Amino acid sequence: MSVIVGNGLTQWYGHDMALDSVDLVVDGGEHMAVLGDNGAGKTTLLRVLATALRPTSGVLEIAGLNAFREKRRLRHYLGYVGHNLGLYPALTAAENLEFFCDLQGVSRSRVDAALEAVGLRPQSYRRADALSRGMQQRLAIARAILHEPRLLILDEPDASLGADAADLLTELMHGRTVVLATHDHALANRLCPRTLTLRHGRSHGTATRLHIVK
Amino acid sequence: MNPIRVAIAVARKDLRSEWRTRELVPALAQFIILALLIANFGFQINSNDAPSIVPGVLWFALVFAGLVAFGRTFAAEREQASLEAMLMTPASPIAIFAGKAVAATTLLIACEAVMLPALSLFFGTDIGFDTILAVFLATIGMAALGCLFAALVARVRARELMLPLLTLPLWIPFIIAGGMAVQTALGLPGSYDEAIGLLIDFDILFIVLTSLAARFVLDE
Repeated sequence: MSVIVGNGLTQWYGHDMALDSVDLVVDGGEHMAVLGDNGAGKTTLLRVLATALRPTSGVLEIAGLNAFREKRRLRHYLGYVGHNLGLYPALTAAENLEFFCDLQGVSRSRVDAALEAVGLRPQSYRRADALSRGMQQRLAIARAILHEPRLLILDEPDASLGADAADLLTELMHGRTVVLATHDHALANRLCPRTLTLRHGRSHGTATRLHIVK
Repeated sequence: MNPIRVAIAVARKDLRSEWRTRELVPALAQFIILALLIANFGFQINSNDAPSIVPGVLWFALVFAGLVAFGRTFAAEREQASLEAMLMTPASPIAIFAGKAVAATTLLIACEAVMLPALSLFFGTDIGFDTILAVFLATIGMAALGCLFAALVARVRARELMLPLLTLPLWIPFIIAGGMAVQTALGLPGSYDEAIGLLIDFDILFIVLTSLAARFVLDE
């Protein structure tokens, strides 16, 4: 069953077109990578899929719901890691997650498991501004999985993660539908059986892993 | 999801961040003391003039301190991109707004705790419960409006300019009613009860209006 169905997703920023009538379908449990150069529209597409941005035109259904009318209901269903991490620098790693547990309406007891999942348990009492960029990235990923979402939207999640990025992401993506944007074709090939390539906001079609290897 | 729990979590988060960084309150308290000091030297107030001039000085200092305090509440969230992270949760935008407004009000009240004794010290006026109540009631309504416009302008480039332009005209009712209340509390003729009644009415009106508008300001 398709979890994401997008038709004609178009986004204008003033006179600049960031997305040009992009169509995509992502099935349940599927992992899809969005590839493209800087400015290709990857972040815009992911923000639209995460319901953080309402596109200028187009239709988007997530889990059978209209993503723009029912976006608050969908927030239980999806987790999003954006380009900007959106952490609170003066709060510790655990406090950052506890705060988002309160906002997600889930028990704070999930904090330890989320920190463990991203390998940040020993840093739970360190302030976010004292963490390295890679650790901050892990903390943002932990925040995205706190409410155990079935759909993950990840915008360059491998940025600053280090050598074990692929292993960490493989583990977190297991059993979930995932759309991720990355510049790293090797990582995309390893994590995602299917890729969508964007150029100047336009979809240049999807490819399976076999095509990429060829 | 319980909106009160969300509002408390947001307010607690903001107050905890301020407690750890001490970015806003010490700077605002210094600003208020300096403003009062300048007014003290500038106006050359004697004890006879004090009841008519001190309320004006008080509201000037409070208005400009408030603009800074409320401006920072959403500007900081935008700068660290954390507002989007909050809005990406199922939490109600109204509850998030309420939490931010409660935290900003608390911080401004902390600054008022410095301002009112300083006012009494510099101008030799007796600041009693009546004055404190008037300032407190005005702060609540001003905070609701200030936070709403701070959220609105946080995404624009000239927000430092836009915030006073949008906020000050709508703060005028609070300044008029608050000024009347403080003047009568300091011994000038007038109806204190009427002024306090007006402040309560304005508080209710603007809290309801800003709560209704907050959803659209934060969500889109």
